[in-house]
Amino acid sequence: MRFFDKFFEKSARSVAQNSSRRGILKKLGVTILGGAAIPLLPVARAADNPSYPQDDAAGDPASCDYWRYCAVDGFLCECCGGSYNSCPPGTEMSPITWIGTCRNPVDGRNYVISYNDCCGKNQCGSCLCQRDEGDRPLYRSDKSNDVNWCLGANSAVYHCSTAIVVGVAFEQ
Amino acid sequence: MRSVTTIKHTLTTLFKSLFLLVLVGGFFASSALAESQINPARAKFNYQLFCQGCHVGDGRGGKDVPNFIGFVGNFLKTDKGREYLLRVPGSANSAVNDEKLAELMNWIILEFGEQSVPKDFRYYTAEEVGRIRKSPLMEVVEYRKAIIQDLKDKYLVTPKYKSDENLK
Repeated sequence: MRFFDKFFEKSARSVAQNSSRRGILKKLGVTILGGAAIPLLPVARAADNPSYPQDDAAGDPASCDYWRYCAVDGFLCECCGGSYNSCPPGTEMSPITWIGTCRNPVDGRNYVISYNDCCGKNQCGSCLCQRDEGDRPLYRSDKSNDVNWCLGANSAVYHCSTAIVVGVAFEQ
Repeated sequence: MRSVTTIKHTLTTLFKSLFLLVLVGGFFASSALAESQINPARAKFNYQLFCQGCHVGDGRGGKDVPNFIGFVGNFLKTDKGREYLLRVPGSANSAVNDEKLAELMNWIILEFGEQSVPKDFRYYTAEEVGRIRKSPLMEVVEYRKAIIQDLKDKYLVTPKYKSDENLK
């Protein structure tokens, strides 16, 4: 029993000597505040929302010189009731498409762009855009924007083009 | 003085054994690397650039484009099927060199094959890819049907989608 007495006395005294009574409040406060600050760090935000450099900063998606459209040949869905990554109501997005890369001016990186066509309604007629960077002749059909990519949809009638970012390019 | 030399001696032995450990570890790590040889970021990028346009991001294909998911590994069960995957237009004619195509094929099989991948799956090598892709298929649809029929007869493979069995 003497041993227990000594042990507890010693440890209690050492706690009393080495800590203050309200120190716990300070530490708790720092932990809570510090913990609350972590989501404000850029790392945490990046993990939260793995979005691609947006987008408004990079220009106007209704304009042909917008970065994503570097190899577009067609009408921009952005001007046809859809957006750069969605089809206007009443049209169907063709799953079969062609894919290239475009350089984003904001971060200087290359992104993989999928140029899915929207199909099933007559040509939209607004915002005709033809940039053709990286476009290849028809004999390399998977890299050609002259193919009617609505061949993969239920209706082969072309309405407008989207430019969907599907990934970051691998730098060789 | 004596104790100092003992400490020195112990330290040198320690460093020597550490060095040996690092060497041996490096050897094992490199042999494991040789086995896989897949750079996932590069393989995925090549998939996106050269396959995804038709086979779609998740490998499910569509219309006349075959599905990969839970099925592509079945072809590895026969030699003819294994070679078929390299002889189809999308593989044989792709603008990808033999090394990258081997990596890409292995990645596709592991990424999308699920339970269809045989337990004893041997990775495609650049040499094999280079050899087989020299005989591209002129006719794919009937050839594929025959392979699938063979897989059904011998290995009781059950196609998941209609497109696994019949194109067109």
